[in-house]
Amino acid sequence: MLSVVKEERAARRAAGARLLRLAASLRLTLALIALLGFGVAFAYLREDARTWPLVVPLILLAFNLLAAVLTNGVFRRQTALLVFHLALIVLLLLVAAGRLSYLTGYVGVTEGVPFDGTLAESQRGPLHAGDIAQVRFVNKGFSIDYAPGLQRGATRNAVAWSEGNGRWHEEMIGDQTPLVLSGYRFYTTFNKGFALTFLWRDAHGNDFLGSVQLPPYPLKEYSQAAAWSPPGSTLSIWVMLDIDEVLLDPAEHTSFRLPERYKLIVRIGDDRHELRPGDSLQTAEGTLEFEGLRNWMGYRVFYDWTLPWLLAACAVAVASLGAHFWLKFSARPWDA
Amino acid sequence: MLEMELELQILWAAVTAYVLAGIVAVVGVVLGKKPERSVLALMLAGLSLQTISIGLRWDRLGHGPFITMFEILCSNVWSLMTAYILAYWRIRRIRATAAVVMPIMFIMLGWLMVAHPGEGHYPPTYNTPWLYIHIGLGKVFLGAVLVAVGLSCIILMRHAGLGRQRLAQLPASPQLDELAFRCMAIGLIFHTLMLIAGAIWAQDAWGRYWAWDPLETWAFITWLTVAFTIHARLAYRLSPPVHAGLILAVFVTAFLTFFGVPFVSVAPHQGAV
Repeated sequence: MLSVVKEERAARRAAGARLLRLAASLRLTLALIALLGFGVAFAYLREDARTWPLVVPLILLAFNLLAAVLTNGVFRRQTALLVFHLALIVLLLLVAAGRLSYLTGYVGVTEGVPFDGTLAESQRGPLHAGDIAQVRFVNKGFSIDYAPGLQRGATRNAVAWSEGNGRWHEEMIGDQTPLVLSGYRFYTTFNKGFALTFLWRDAHGNDFLGSVQLPPYPLKEYSQAAAWSPPGSTLSIWVMLDIDEVLLDPAEHTSFRLPERYKLIVRIGDDRHELRPGDSLQTAEGTLEFEGLRNWMGYRVFYDWTLPWLLAACAVAVASLGAHFWLKFSARPWDA
Repeated sequence: MLEMELELQILWAAVTAYVLAGIVAVVGVVLGKKPERSVLALMLAGLSLQTISIGLRWDRLGHGPFITMFEILCSNVWSLMTAYILAYWRIRRIRATAAVVMPIMFIMLGWLMVAHPGEGHYPPTYNTPWLYIHIGLGKVFLGAVLVAVGLSCIILMRHAGLGRQRLAQLPASPQLDELAFRCMAIGLIFHTLMLIAGAIWAQDAWGRYWAWDPLETWAFITWLTVAFTIHARLAYRLSPPVHAGLILAVFVTAFLTFFGVPFVSVAPHQGAV
């Protein structure tokens, strides 16, 4: 009886080992690389199906790699090759971890108005644990030069943020340099424009200072309008910035700047008004005072804690692959 | 305008030298002779002239040849010729491959001659050392694959019974196959490094290291074809002609990625290889 159980165990072990060797097959690797290639092409053609065509072959490749590392004697004899394949497994795990905990988003921040931790749009992995709601910074203005033909030059954006101890720091960001706060990376974008700042005094005498960002400039030069409602109000207010000068002359070297000659058209229901900085408008639900114009800058927001580890895994993978080929090729001349 | 004319005249002189090098190489193989010094001298003359032409343009525009199709073709002709001249100089036994490699270069030279030499806008996102690193690594990859393609063409020609006698001066096909494999291994390493450098640049420039834009997708597909070719040779012990066929497929994919996709893509990553 005891020998039968032992034989069964041995048979199970042998079957398991056979399965592991099958999973480790180099030919399977080849098929999975081809499958990944088709998956990439499929994901490229079908934007709505970007996850599974990539994830399935990648998981299978990870298993194949792991089985190969466990069973293939080549890896015990060739350390560099072993390190390369282990680095590939780590790379796959890191990419998966990154996808589970990432955040990408976008926000427009008006000059002088602190970012309050709220993103205009965002996507995040199911295990995202960062706390963007606690992140604060101030856009202190930016400069962008344009070459003839409205060819945009470098973006230089001054930003300030405070540490927990209340000390403020200033930094110049733009193009290649993001602002990094609590792991969140804020990148300037080509989206920027003008923001109208208002003081809204409601019927109870409460004051609210805020801004309304107009569409990007010069991208939407001819539709500088927006509709909005003041805080706690049911009013729908439509505003349009009527600029009476050429701000960015396509024939000249020029710089992004606020307009000096402009008026603000305000429409509430059928009533039309023209406002200049300092003007007020009495409405049925409160008083609207136009304070003036400021700039706003659009930021792309990115969070992925795996970035430095991914780079390290890539460096190890390439270095070990290089070492493997070097040892292999230097052992025997090509024309031997 | 005069400066551009001078650059183009020097470039034409370089193209003439390259074409002469190719003709001498082909005639040498056909006649069973070895005009190796003449071929090397003509290729070096072409490379020197082209270096001057690119240098003048770089100085005039204030940026490298990364923006327009003309610039990308020109810089790739330069880097491919540099890679091939190095291989030609260092590995004497494969010098007859010039009779195959140079006609491949003629295609790019012809394309270069009809491309518009006007200048393009240099975006602020290109103003980083990572651009040079990314592009430089990509050029080494393509150069290594070009040498492998030259060797593969010889293997396939022999297999098809074309010019066996004339190609007899080259080593046996298994040896050429081994050298082509080594070139592909170098290509894999440099393509991987190119992808890593590109990801670092993309993270800085656009706030994401990978976004499956058309160029990134095709670059990754090219990487997969290289990995597939190397793995297939190890897994199936491929015969030299089959391995050579796969190498040609890699070259075609890489060619489409480097010279096709950047000019049909509307993504910010327009390609600057």
